[in-house]
Amino acid sequence: MTTVESDTVTQLSAPRPPSLRTTTRARRSERFVDGWHSFRQSKSGVAGLAFLLLVVLGACFAPWLAHESLLDVTLVDNDLNEPPSWENPLGTDPLGRSVLVMLLWGSRISLLVGVAATIMCMFLGTLIGILAGHFTGWRSAIVMRFIDFFLVLPSLVLAIVLSTVLQRGMWTIIIALGVTSWAGTARLVRAQTLTIEARSYIERSIALGASHRHIISRHVLPGVMPFIMASTTLTVGSAIIAESTLSFLGLGDPSQVSWGSMLKLSLDSGAATAGYWWFVLPPGLAIVAVVLAFTLVGRTIETMINPTLRAR
Amino acid sequence: MPSVTFDDVSVVYSSQTDTGRGKIAAVRGVSFTLPERGTLGIAGESGSGKSTLAMSVLRLLPRNATVSGRILLDDRNVLELSWGALRTVRWGEASVVFQGAMHSLNPVQRVGKQILEALELHAKNGYATATARQARMLELLGLVDLPGAKAEQYPHQLSGGQRQRVMIAMALACDPELIIADEPTTALDVIVQAQVLEVLANLVRERGLSLLMISHDLSVLGSVCDQIGVMYHGELVEIGPSADIIANPKHPHTQALAAAFPTIGDPASRFLPVSSKGTGAMPIVDTAGSGGTDAPAGAVMLAARQVSVAFHTSSGVLKAVDDVDLECREGEIVALVGQSGSGKTTLVRTLLGLQQPSRGEVLFRGQPLVRTTKGLKAYRRLVQLIPQDPSGALNPKHSVYDSVAEGIRIHRLPGDERERVARALTAAELTPPEEFFRAIPQELSGGQCQRVVIAGALALGPSFLVADEPVASLDASVRGEILALLLRLRRELGLGALIITHDLGLAWNIADRVMVMHEGRIVESGAVEDVLLNPQHAYTRRLLEAVPSTAGNARKTPGEARLSPPGWG
Repeated sequence: MTTVESDTVTQLSAPRPPSLRTTTRARRSERFVDGWHSFRQSKSGVAGLAFLLLVVLGACFAPWLAHESLLDVTLVDNDLNEPPSWENPLGTDPLGRSVLVMLLWGSRISLLVGVAATIMCMFLGTLIGILAGHFTGWRSAIVMRFIDFFLVLPSLVLAIVLSTVLQRGMWTIIIALGVTSWAGTARLVRAQTLTIEARSYIERSIALGASHRHIISRHVLPGVMPFIMASTTLTVGSAIIAESTLSFLGLGDPSQVSWGSMLKLSLDSGAATAGYWWFVLPPGLAIVAVVLAFTLVGRTIETMINPTLRAR
Repeated sequence: MPSVTFDDVSVVYSSQTDTGRGKIAAVRGVSFTLPERGTLGIAGESGSGKSTLAMSVLRLLPRNATVSGRILLDDRNVLELSWGALRTVRWGEASVVFQGAMHSLNPVQRVGKQILEALELHAKNGYATATARQARMLELLGLVDLPGAKAEQYPHQLSGGQRQRVMIAMALACDPELIIADEPTTALDVIVQAQVLEVLANLVRERGLSLLMISHDLSVLGSVCDQIGVMYHGELVEIGPSADIIANPKHPHTQALAAAFPTIGDPASRFLPVSSKGTGAMPIVDTAGSGGTDAPAGAVMLAARQVSVAFHTSSGVLKAVDDVDLECREGEIVALVGQSGSGKTTLVRTLLGLQQPSRGEVLFRGQPLVRTTKGLKAYRRLVQLIPQDPSGALNPKHSVYDSVAEGIRIHRLPGDERERVARALTAAELTPPEEFFRAIPQELSGGQCQRVVIAGALALGPSFLVADEPVASLDASVRGEILALLLRLRRELGLGALIITHDLGLAWNIADRVMVMHEGRIVESGAVEDVLLNPQHAYTRRLLEAVPSTAGNARKTPGEARLSPPGWG
């Protein structure tokens, strides 16, 4: 009884948090809750996020929703190019597979490639952008020329070249997209780094004896992080489109279904010209919808970071 | 000739917050009259509502402001004027000199064109043709002592004082009868400030203008205005003739404002900066011995030997620091005084190893500064910088704890980090320290931010402090507190400091020695009493003359106060 009382008294008189790491964590989670509250203000952002969650869930549970055997041409017994019916809600493809099942399985590759390529692009872009912004003089100049080189590299041509050198498949596409798209991000991150480095708390930090590493990890990186977050969601969308383009050109793994390879098959098999719209429209619309959802989420995060955009 | 009458004026800002619409009363029930051809200054700290009050005269407030009461220009109520009528009042009868001339001028237009724009928009009969307007523009530049050639320049090519004079010229463009000047000299150094004030005072006197001027500095108002009103928390707490307000202020807040800017040569303010927490709470003079002037002269801590710093710019080599020798001893407070552009910040950056000297060397405890990464790191533990703008010097995302602990983590100091931080915060007079641990800079006032910066420096147990304009961006009442803190650190920890400032009053307040820097050279140095009371160098004398005197007699005759040989300002 008495111990409990004295405990409360000490707590009241000296609010001593157990450790400061937890207070930092508490503040972070507080900020996260705040962020979620302002995110919820945007109807379009919430709609985009909900749609994305639905697609991601579908992609994750595809093997349970529709067994892989349904994609095996030797095992399916539907008619070829069958129009939508109760049995096959989106019809069948020129090989007799259900378009709905293909769409579900295709989302796995499209999302995976889009996200993996974006992570690669963001990692390279952030690292090199911060280096270019943090260092000055000849070191910065070298990094900038390096960025410029990759900025002018045509991604399509590079991807085609890579696929002749490397094995054809998903990873080739991821590498091709990652390597060609980080340069733009790097320039953005560099500009952001420059504005942060001009603040006087950086000079204070240097005067305290901070190393480059300390300044980058404690001040610059947390400062550019929100911009990277917003930029990431926007990049995923364009990476999905790029994946479709490359798969459409036949650079993907032919044994795996993706939205881009579905479009390629529809063109190759003549489905697109023969008027079998049920095989052409769904993958195209799926790409548009997912990219739109990513863009909505990205724009919402952007307005959270930069409240002046809110009124526009 | 309008007179301005405020009759029970209140301004309320409504803002969108999480809890619905919040209302903030910026101005509460203010009444006073500015007579025809009268000059009235409004003093107050940031947030006291003085700018809001002044802008309400021309209804220049943002949309979320609600004004109640009556504001009369002669006998017309400004608040009831139609849009068209208001437009003719704006600029034609009353015009504004805005705060911060750099932001109020368009950076991509020549300044002459911007003055012409004001003439075109509010053209009165006299300036109907382009040539007439051109002539008028040159005449206006002449009125503010600027050569006509300056009209062809862009704002960034002009100095701060010249830009402010362009702003005044624009305000005069349409022969207004009332000028509202919002902090016209803030961010200008003393000499330029004196020039701008003189231009304003002359114009008011010669052209019979009414002037409503806002400043946080009573001495600035005292040198131009007949009357001074003091605002505090949105209320007008005191109003009266300038000399009275400055000489015997009645309201405690006015007293704090008046005392914040010491009279140089007044022994009462020597080593006794005044704070709103009570005058003379820390009688340092007594503890320091007779008069406090003989500083405890210890060993030389920080020294510069023939240091020069040159920058290579497109227009040639610029010598920011030119052959400077200096010595700072242990436990000694040295003030480095100079105008902006005199090279004092560059010199300090060089002393801290943030800038490589092109010639000469920096010595710390008699040893040349080691410029390797490791050597600099060790050095930076011992000599600490207190940067100019305290709110900018703290990462807005870091808590007070993290900011103070930053140096401890960088140098991996042994012992309990928490205890070190708490001790540093206590030393910087932020008590109890636990209450500040979680706060982030935006939750703190400017003075508290500066204390956090100081605590961050103290956490490393330095042997010397270097402060770059430590109080320039702080309110008058906080200024004294921070200066008292620096003095207390010297007394209790024996911590010496090199303080850069453009404010001679600060040097008088706390420094043992003063060095005057001019165009990269140190032109005069010595004990504060010797240099400030008996200046030898012409430049020191000019600096001292430019300090607006709080005695209220500072309205100098034009010949005496004209400080502007070409090239100045």
